[in-house]
Amino acid sequence: MTIYAVERLSLRIGDAAILHDIGFEVRRGACTALVGASGSGKSMSCFAPFGLAAGKASGSARLDGAELIGLDEPALRPLRARAGFAFQQPATALSPHLTIGRQLREAVVAGGAPSPDRRALAAMLDRVGIARPDARLDSWPHRLSGGERQRVMIAAAVAHDPILLVADEPTSALDAPLRHAILDLIDRLRQDGMAVLLVSHDLPLVALHADQVAVLQAGRVVESGAARQILSRPLTAETRALVAASPSLDTPGPALPPTGAPLLAAQGIDVTVAGRGWRAPQVTLVEDASFTIAEGEALALAGRSGSGKSTLARAVARLGPMTDGELRWRGEIVPGRDRMAAGFRKAVQPVFQDPVASLDPHWTVAASIAEPLRHLCPELDAAARAARVDALLEEVELGRGFADRRPAELSGGQAQRVAIARALAAGPELILLDEATSALDVLVAGRILSLLQRLQADRNLAILMITHDLAVARSLCHRLAVMEAGKIVEQGPFDRMLSTPGHPATRHLLGT
Amino acid sequence: MRAILLRRLATAIPTLFAVVLASFFLMRAAPGSPFDAERPLDAATRAALDHAYGLDRPLLEQLGRYLANLAQGDFGPSLVYKDFTVTALIAQGLPISLMLGGLALAVALMTGVSGGIAGALRPGGWSDRAVDFAASLAVALPGFVTGPVLALIFALWLNWLPVAGLNGPASLILPVIALALPVAGAVAKLTRTGLSETLAQDHVRTARARGLSPFAVLWRHALAPALIPVVSYLAPAAAGLLTGAVVIETVFGLPGLGRYFVQGALNRDYPLVMGVVILYAGLILFFNLIADLLYGLLDPRARG
Repeated sequence: MTIYAVERLSLRIGDAAILHDIGFEVRRGACTALVGASGSGKSMSCFAPFGLAAGKASGSARLDGAELIGLDEPALRPLRARAGFAFQQPATALSPHLTIGRQLREAVVAGGAPSPDRRALAAMLDRVGIARPDARLDSWPHRLSGGERQRVMIAAAVAHDPILLVADEPTSALDAPLRHAILDLIDRLRQDGMAVLLVSHDLPLVALHADQVAVLQAGRVVESGAARQILSRPLTAETRALVAASPSLDTPGPALPPTGAPLLAAQGIDVTVAGRGWRAPQVTLVEDASFTIAEGEALALAGRSGSGKSTLARAVARLGPMTDGELRWRGEIVPGRDRMAAGFRKAVQPVFQDPVASLDPHWTVAASIAEPLRHLCPELDAAARAARVDALLEEVELGRGFADRRPAELSGGQAQRVAIARALAAGPELILLDEATSALDVLVAGRILSLLQRLQADRNLAILMITHDLAVARSLCHRLAVMEAGKIVEQGPFDRMLSTPGHPATRHLLGT
Repeated sequence: MRAILLRRLATAIPTLFAVVLASFFLMRAAPGSPFDAERPLDAATRAALDHAYGLDRPLLEQLGRYLANLAQGDFGPSLVYKDFTVTALIAQGLPISLMLGGLALAVALMTGVSGGIAGALRPGGWSDRAVDFAASLAVALPGFVTGPVLALIFALWLNWLPVAGLNGPASLILPVIALALPVAGAVAKLTRTGLSETLAQDHVRTARARGLSPFAVLWRHALAPALIPVVSYLAPAAAGLLTGAVVIETVFGLPGLGRYFVQGALNRDYPLVMGVVILYAGLILFFNLIADLLYGLLDPRARG
C-alpha cells in the first residue's frame, strides 16, 4: 500500500526552477531513498510539499491519499503532524533551551496523543538505544554526543507513531559504526509498518537499507528503481560517480609515494586542562602519546569522537595546549608555544573541517592565501606574493579567476581548496588535516581527496590526518594510529592494521 | 549555576571597592569645596567646618575613615543638607525611585516584548511596520519632550491625571509612561530582530514540522533564544531606571534619588555623591548577576 506518492513535483524559488517533475513513492513498511550530490534537490523534494522549504511547489504529493500541494499553512499543519521529520544536523535542529523530555512530550502532544508520562518518554529514548534514558530526559541537547542527538532527533520524529518518517541525512555527521547503528534503528522502526523516506549522499550505504532508490541530479530524477539493482548495475554516469565516490575498505589501497628520514617525533605527549567548576580536578585529554612521521609519510589518527585525536594533533602542531612531552623536528627539540620559532610554523600548517568557517568571511580568497606569506615569508614583496597566490590557485585547480571572491561566493569544495592553498602557501613540509573532507558531500570529498593525493606526491608532503573514516584515510595514509580515551592504543602500517586489528577500538572503527 | 553565582560574587566585591576608590579620588580631584558659597566664609569658620568634617586631614586618612565607616554601613553625614545623614537621604529618595523605575521597567518589558512578537508574527505586515515606527519614535524622543507633552495632554487639557507631585498612585502614571517609552521602544526592536533571527534557525523548522501553530512555535521555541540581547540591554538599563531618572523626576516634581545625585555633585557634597555612586554600582553589579542567571535559563549552554 502506498503511503506517500509524489508525481511531477516542481519547485520554483523566485524565477529559478529548483525541481523538475520529481516522482517517487513510499510504501507501507518500506524505505525509499533519495540520493544525490549536495545541491541536487533531494532535501527540497522532501520538504517542499510539506511547506517546510522556501518557494512555490506544483504537481502532486499525496500523503495517505490527502493532497499536500496547494494547501495553505493552517491546512498543512495537521498533515505535517501525520508525518515525522528527522532533520540533518541535530545539533541545531533541536531547541537548545528545552530539555529532551520536553521536546519529546511536545512531539507526542502535537501528534494528537494525550500527554505521556515520564516512563513512556523514557521508553521512547530506550527504543532508539539511548543509555540511562530516564536521566537523559532532564538533559539539554548540548549535553549529548552527536550520535545521541541524532537518536533523540529520530525518537522525537517517531514519538507520535507517524505513518511516514522523513529522515534528511540522518547519518552524514557520524562515524561508520554509528551510521550502521542509526540505519539499523530505522529498519527496526519500519517493522511496525512505518514508511521511511531517506535522504543521503552515500549511495552504497543507503542501498543496504532502502528498497527503492531515486538518484537526483540538478533537480531531476535521473534514475530510479530497486536499490540493489541500481547499486550493482548503475545506468547513468551520475549514479556510477556516486557509487565510485565512496571509498571502500574492500578494494586494495592505492600505491603511496615513498617516505624518507624522520621529520616529526612526538614523545610522551600529555594534555590536561583545568576542570569545570571550583576546585574541580584536572581533566586529562591526551595521555602519554608517542608517534613519528617521516618525510613524505602520511599518518592517520583515527578514533571515535571525543577520543582526543584533534587535541593531540593540535598539540603537536603547536596550535593547542601541551602539558608535558617532547616534540622533535628533524631531531631538534621544538621550542614552547610562547617562543614559537617561525621556522616550525612555516613547516607545519593546518586544514580544518569546516572550510567556510575557517576562512574570514570579509577577506578575499587572495588575501586569505597571502596572509601566511606576509607573516612567514617577509622576504617576498607584494608582486612576488601575488604571483605565488596565482600559482597556488592553479595548483589547487581553482584558477586565478577566484582571487577576488569572498567565502560566501564559494561552494564547500571550493572553500576547502582555498583553505588547502592557504596551508600550502608558506611551503610546509607537514600538513595537518583535521577531518578535512568529512563536512563535504561524497563527490566533492572524493575530488578533494584526489587533489591531496596529487599534492602528496608532487610536493613530497608529510600528512597528519585526523579522521573517523578509515576508508578515506587509507587512500592517503601509510600508517594508522588509533586513539581511545586520550591514549594511542594501537599503531602500525595501514594494511597490517586492517588485516589483523589488535585492539577492540580498531575493530570498532572497522565496523567488525 | 552555583559556580557562576560564586564567581560573580567574588568579582563583585573588588569591583565595588575599585568604584569606591575611583570616585573618592575623582571627587577630591575636582576643584571647589562643599563650603564654597556666593559670599566666602571667613577663614576661622571655614577651618572649623573643615575640622569638624575631617576635611583638613591627609587624603589617605580621610579615605581610611570613610572606608571604616562604610564597612559598618554608615555613608557619613551630608555636607550640604545639614542635620541629615546620607543614609537618611537615600532612605527618603530610594523608595520613590524604586517604585517609579520598577513600574517603568515592568511596563517597558511587557509592551516591548509583546510589540516585538506582534511584529515578528507577520514580518513585513502592517503590524510589523506600525510597531517598528512606534518603537523608533519612542526611542528617538527624549524624556524632557515626552514628559511635558504627556502632562500637557492628559493633565492640563483632559484633566484626567495630576500634573506633578506625589499624591497617590494616579500621579505615578504619567512619569512611569514617560520613563518607560524609550526602553519599551528599544526592547521592541531588540525582540523583533532577535525573533527574526531565531525564526530562521533549524530548531524552529523542527517545531513547525511537528504541526505546531505559529504562536506555539514562536512562544516556546523562538522567544527564549531571541530574548538574550534584550537581557543584555536591560541589565544596565534597569540599574539606571531604578536609581533615579533625573529628568523625569524633575519634570514631574518627584522627590526621588536623581535629584540628590545632581545637587550633590554640583555642591561637592562628597559623602552624598559617594553614597549614590556606590548604590548605583551595587545595583549594576546586581543586575548583571541577574542577567547572567537569565542567560543560563534562556540558553542552557551558557551554564557550561
